[in-house]
Amino acid sequence: MVEQGSIALISAPPLLRVEGVRKRFGGVNALRGVSLEILSGEVHALLGENGAGKSTLIKILSGVHVHDGGSIEIEGKPVSFSSPAQSRDAGVAVVYQDLSLVESLSVADNLLLGREPKTRLGFLRKRQLVAQAEAFLKSQNIPLDARAMVGSLPFAYRQMTEIAKALMGDVRLLILDEPTSALTDDEEKILFEAIREVAARGVGVIYVTHRLNEVFRISNRVTVFRDGQNAGTFVTAQSTMRQLVGAIVGPDHAVLKTDGTASGQGMAQPAGSIESPVLELKGVGNDRLDRASLQLRAGEIHGLAGLIGSGRTEILQTIFGLRPIQSGEAKLDGGSLKGTDPAAAIGLGIALVPEDRHVQGLVLEHSIERNLTLPRLPYFSRLGWLQRRPAGEHANAAMRRLAVKAPSASTLVKNLSGGNQQKVVFGKWNEPRPRVLLLDEPTVGVDVGAREEIYGVIRAAAAAGSGVLLVSSDLSELLQLCDRISIVVDGRITRTIARPEFGGAEDLHHLIQLSQPSEEHAA
Amino acid sequence: MTDTQSPAKAVASQSSGRSALQHLLKGERPYMLYVAFAIMLIVFSLASPWFLSIDNFLNIGRQTTLVSIIAVGMTFVIISRQIDLSVASTLALSGMSASLAMAFVANNWVVGAVAGLGTGALIGLLNGVLTTRLEIPSFLVTLGTLSGARGLALMVTNTKPVIITNEYYFAIFGEGSVLGIPAPILWTLGVTIAGILLLHYSVYGRRVYAAGGNPTAALYSGVHIKQVTTLAFVLTGTLAGLASLILSARSHAARPDVVQGMELDVIASVILGGCSLFGGRGFVLGTLLGSLIIGTLNNGLVLLGVSSSLQLVIKGAIIVAAVAFTRR
Repeated sequence: MVEQGSIALISAPPLLRVEGVRKRFGGVNALRGVSLEILSGEVHALLGENGAGKSTLIKILSGVHVHDGGSIEIEGKPVSFSSPAQSRDAGVAVVYQDLSLVESLSVADNLLLGREPKTRLGFLRKRQLVAQAEAFLKSQNIPLDARAMVGSLPFAYRQMTEIAKALMGDVRLLILDEPTSALTDDEEKILFEAIREVAARGVGVIYVTHRLNEVFRISNRVTVFRDGQNAGTFVTAQSTMRQLVGAIVGPDHAVLKTDGTASGQGMAQPAGSIESPVLELKGVGNDRLDRASLQLRAGEIHGLAGLIGSGRTEILQTIFGLRPIQSGEAKLDGGSLKGTDPAAAIGLGIALVPEDRHVQGLVLEHSIERNLTLPRLPYFSRLGWLQRRPAGEHANAAMRRLAVKAPSASTLVKNLSGGNQQKVVFGKWNEPRPRVLLLDEPTVGVDVGAREEIYGVIRAAAAAGSGVLLVSSDLSELLQLCDRISIVVDGRITRTIARPEFGGAEDLHHLIQLSQPSEEHAA
Repeated sequence: MTDTQSPAKAVASQSSGRSALQHLLKGERPYMLYVAFAIMLIVFSLASPWFLSIDNFLNIGRQTTLVSIIAVGMTFVIISRQIDLSVASTLALSGMSASLAMAFVANNWVVGAVAGLGTGALIGLLNGVLTTRLEIPSFLVTLGTLSGARGLALMVTNTKPVIITNEYYFAIFGEGSVLGIPAPILWTLGVTIAGILLLHYSVYGRRVYAAGGNPTAALYSGVHIKQVTTLAFVLTGTLAGLASLILSARSHAARPDVVQGMELDVIASVILGGCSLFGGRGFVLGTLLGSLIIGTLNNGLVLLGVSSSLQLVIKGAIIVAAVAFTRR
């Protein structure tokens, strides 16, 4: 619980002091006593894998959740926020990944939305509105044109508008939740400049990110969470990337992984299957892919590693027929894939567990049975009539095999937990076995127990002869499951490594981070 | 991120024993409808001595035929997250087409039926194709065909009605009866049963629900959403064509200016019957009930001597209240 790598602090009282904060969701310990200190004027990066507890802490600080134990102090005063408004009043502002701006209005309109200067009759004082916004932007040194339409701005400037909006009023602590995930390098520079300006004015900034090299560019200190606990706080200038990666993945990680697959079927692929890959991409290109080449063998779990936005998801979508193949060739069992129609892809034995199960994977308002049978309806159709009994049996069999915890197949999917929902998405492709199983971040938003079960499902699919292509940002997951891992950068595959060449998570992290074209100066 | 998800708490309250009837009634609150209908029947029976009679109920059945039949198709359209505003105009144009075919091609009821149903299906196809291929919202597409089809119907005869003289046509679509049940009511029953089978017992029905419940997830599951949606429009257009046959057989003529504004009654019936305007939810029997509720309301208010202006106000209030209930 106590910080391991803590450093000597400046003697002034910290702006924010989080001490042993705990939070449970039902049976899941999201936070098991985390501590964090933010000084005014510092940019403090917060790192950790998915599920490490970063978002939970942010939601507690922003008043969305209430912590179960521990204490939070702002400028020495203990606080507990039961609503976002209270958090806001205490001077905490959060900028989330998905922006909340009105694109059809100007920057000034957005900044003063809801508190526009008005005449006594309720008419808008337009000139005063623009003047107020301009004065504010100037006082904060934010290089934004108050009259610009938000919808016409590049993403970095929208992000900046969002930050400016968050700064309206008396803000002492600014929390940025992965602000750069959609930015180009130039945009990132602009945004970082703005963040430094904000910090220079005495605001404390918590900067949540997955990208290590950003940490070195923007932060003064960095705290790492792992499994709901502190894994260390470092002064950025005195730490190395290797140190941080070590803290993120944990000490006993490499051991655990090799155990996992040694007992699994993973490596036992005979050399015979190497000759004829079940799926082969040869220089496939479209608007997001740049000559991507890949061979997937039957019975193999093949990982795709890379940063968010590197094109991993797009590779899966292209194979599944959601994106056109404009150049190059994709072959399944030796036959060419045309693309552009998921129904045809499914007919050929390709299955996709998509990234966003709520939007892409499930009809939340419908029952488990309806969701499970949806992609397999042709199997339950006789002259167009739905064969209810076989469909019901199919659903029950999938529920049993995947151990979906629900009263019956008629339970609505929206009432299930994240892990059980994800099992339903897997169950859609349970029978018949797909030739190629495409998995996009299959364990995001899934608790630890269900995660292990899903790993079992993935291994079983490979053991039954499916070729599995697995996209994951969780490196330990890739190392635990995969026979081979391909690194994806800017829509192409730069490198494929086989299990004997795997190092630990740290090495994989390095491979991903260092293969970025613009990152040389980072490490 | 993972840590925000609530735990594996399955809902244990739902009982698994579902009767076949409940299985048909897949709406969220179908019982509300029965209660509303029952209360309405009781109130009108107490208030008017003429209300509670077989003749009056046959009357209500006949009066609601057109709306009920088209509303079955509209149920498919609304469940697939679309809307069809053009049904009344489609009915008018289909009627003109049927009567003109019998007048100029051959005075045979089959010719009339094919012309009427075909015209309806074509307009439905146009609605579907414009909506799915050009990706224009169906509200706008069908607002266009509402105007266009009505204009065509008025143009073909320069606004004059076309007389129909075929006795078989009258018998089959209007004046015949089996076991004392008039043909229009038989058609309503037939269409409702077919609608129930198609929506609740066919693979197509499953796809309609999926396309409306979550179009992206449906696409990712291999559903051809465009085809599914287009077919729902074709179905609705065809049923508007059938309604035109029934109406013109009843009045022995097709008129181009009939049933203006009826699309609102149709949509109201579907929504009142438990369909969600946001797609993915609804059931055919509910739609029929919704249509009967509106018909009974009209009938009862007339028997009570409520002025037609006040009837409109009351109907409007009930429709808004119903939507407020079905929304979540």
